[in-house]
Amino acid sequence: MTRKIDPLVYSSIREAILVTGIWLAAAIWSISVCYTMGYHRATDDLKLVLGFPDWVFWGIVIPWSTCTVVSIVFGLIFVRDGDLGKDIEDADDLGLGG
Amino acid sequence: MNALTQFVTASNILAADAAAPPSAGWGAMTMLILFIAGSMCIGVFANMTTQKGGFMKGFFLGNRGLGAWALALTATIQSGGTFMGFPSLVYSHGWIVALWIGSYMVVPITGFGILGKRLAQLSRRTGAITVPDLFRTRFNSPALGFTCTLFILLYLSFMMFAQFKAGAIVIQLAWPNGGELSLSEDAVSVSETRYHIGLIVFAVTVVGYTLMGGFLAAVWTDLFQSLLMFVGVVILLVASLNAAGGLENATRVSVANTGPGFATGPGFIADGSSHEFLPLSLAISFFVVWIWGGVGAPAGLVRLMASQNTSVIRRSIYLLSIYNMGIYLPLIVICVCGRALIPSLDGKTDQIIPRMAIMTTSHWPGGSFVAGLILAAPFGAVMATVSSYLVVLSSGVVRDIYQRFIAPNADRNQLRRAAWGTMIVAGLISVAVSWYPVTYLQAFIVFSTSGAAATFLVPALMACYWRRATTAGIFASMISGAMTVLVLYLIGILNLLPHQAIGAATGFRPWYLWGFDPLIWGILVSGTSGILISLMTMPMDEELLSRMFDEQPEAP
Repeated sequence: MTRKIDPLVYSSIREAILVTGIWLAAAIWSISVCYTMGYHRATDDLKLVLGFPDWVFWGIVIPWSTCTVVSIVFGLIFVRDGDLGKDIEDADDLGLGG
Repeated sequence: MNALTQFVTASNILAADAAAPPSAGWGAMTMLILFIAGSMCIGVFANMTTQKGGFMKGFFLGNRGLGAWALALTATIQSGGTFMGFPSLVYSHGWIVALWIGSYMVVPITGFGILGKRLAQLSRRTGAITVPDLFRTRFNSPALGFTCTLFILLYLSFMMFAQFKAGAIVIQLAWPNGGELSLSEDAVSVSETRYHIGLIVFAVTVVGYTLMGGFLAAVWTDLFQSLLMFVGVVILLVASLNAAGGLENATRVSVANTGPGFATGPGFIADGSSHEFLPLSLAISFFVVWIWGGVGAPAGLVRLMASQNTSVIRRSIYLLSIYNMGIYLPLIVICVCGRALIPSLDGKTDQIIPRMAIMTTSHWPGGSFVAGLILAAPFGAVMATVSSYLVVLSSGVVRDIYQRFIAPNADRNQLRRAAWGTMIVAGLISVAVSWYPVTYLQAFIVFSTSGAAATFLVPALMACYWRRATTAGIFASMISGAMTVLVLYLIGILNLLPHQAIGAATGFRPWYLWGFDPLIWGILVSGTSGILISLMTMPMDEELLSRMFDEQPEAP
């Protein structure tokens, strides 16, 4: 008898792929901005934005704020709730693995 | 230029105030005593809560009842290092540490979004209490479960021994009128007796409340310290910005106090050598290390297994996102202010948070207690970390060794005695090992964290998402990941290859192959061998796979 794959497995895979994409995007943004704007730079032309060096502001503060908003939206809207299944009642035994 | 000179002058005046190490006063010790008392109360309360149901699930997994706040603020990789090692790096190397820690912007979403739901489901389907339990049942292999247990015991022992030392040092520095604020290795030699008293107090406290309340005591204390840490950071941020005359002033003065490298990459190096703290290869590495190291950490995996339902996991993502934003960026700002206000710490850079706490609140009414509250945060962080390791360590011994091989029919009382015995023995060994403290505290933690992640990350992903994964593939993945990290650390420690002038300047350094952190190579090797060996071996039994991946018929 063929059974259907549990919907929670599907939704978990979908969310894991999206999260990995968000991680990659954040990494590319932060590292490229910080490296191009902030590495081996003379301090004479260094600008401060709200007290942060400009490369920290655009390469860390802004993406960090964006990621916080994205995480809130992801948690509130995108993640699908699902049934985790029933637990074994008497957990003092050795479980299914024996 | 005039403005800069003015700031430098102001900084020198404040620096004169900061020249002598200030005393922690009675406030710090009072707050620590209150914190210890609070933790004991949490232990008693957790003990009452875990009385219902089976002992194993209650004591080691909190009856899978973890709520969103507890999961969010305790499941990731915060530890004593958040208040100790990290501020020291900002003070030493400047703004570049913002990039070093930058990946924490996605830690909440990756920590819960990649494995959270599926691991929680799988742990219920397998009836797993521990991580080895889960692997053993998912792949129907007692040998695999036992191998997991050995790896976990090895890594967590290393991490726990190191943390005991840190806990003792916090008590030592909080000693009233002691004039000691260093968390560094050489602080131990200044007052050995205080260190030993601190070690015993720390051990009795942490073993005591974990023994009473098990997993829940560890989690609730962790939650308590996380909230305390947040309050402490907010207070210290306001006080520091006020004292430094704003962030712009602080940045300019700190650059004047150090050099241009403090505000640019790859970071300031005090001795002016060609050493690079964060070259591009390591900047990329840390975006991998913090993220995937957190996802694969065994203590974190256990907490995901204990989550109540998917809604809890979902809410944890945004709670932790807001929390992280409120902790890490402010800590960087505080330490930049610290470099402006205290130009030099004579090598004891890990003094920066306690020094700032005492210095900026000394003129406040009840300032000593506010400083104490801030100082209690690292103590709580260390205590919570040790407590969670004790639970995982003890569950490994009781569930995966005692119950499986020695007493399969053990009743509740026998299991409880075994758990208590394990924790007491682990505490005694930790005290003995830390009595004459090991050097390279942080290095032990870093090695164990990398090793654990390289061992468990890929196998956990394969167990959760890949139907074609086989027992042999998981074995190969675990062992090759662990060996890769171990070999790269050994090459670095034993100086088998020429010195590399990158990264943090400690004696306990790995070999950075092509400039990248060992964990990256560990994950790559672990993934490649896991996939190849799985494809070369026979697929797992379809009935077992169906139980793990497919919809299950309703029980009659």
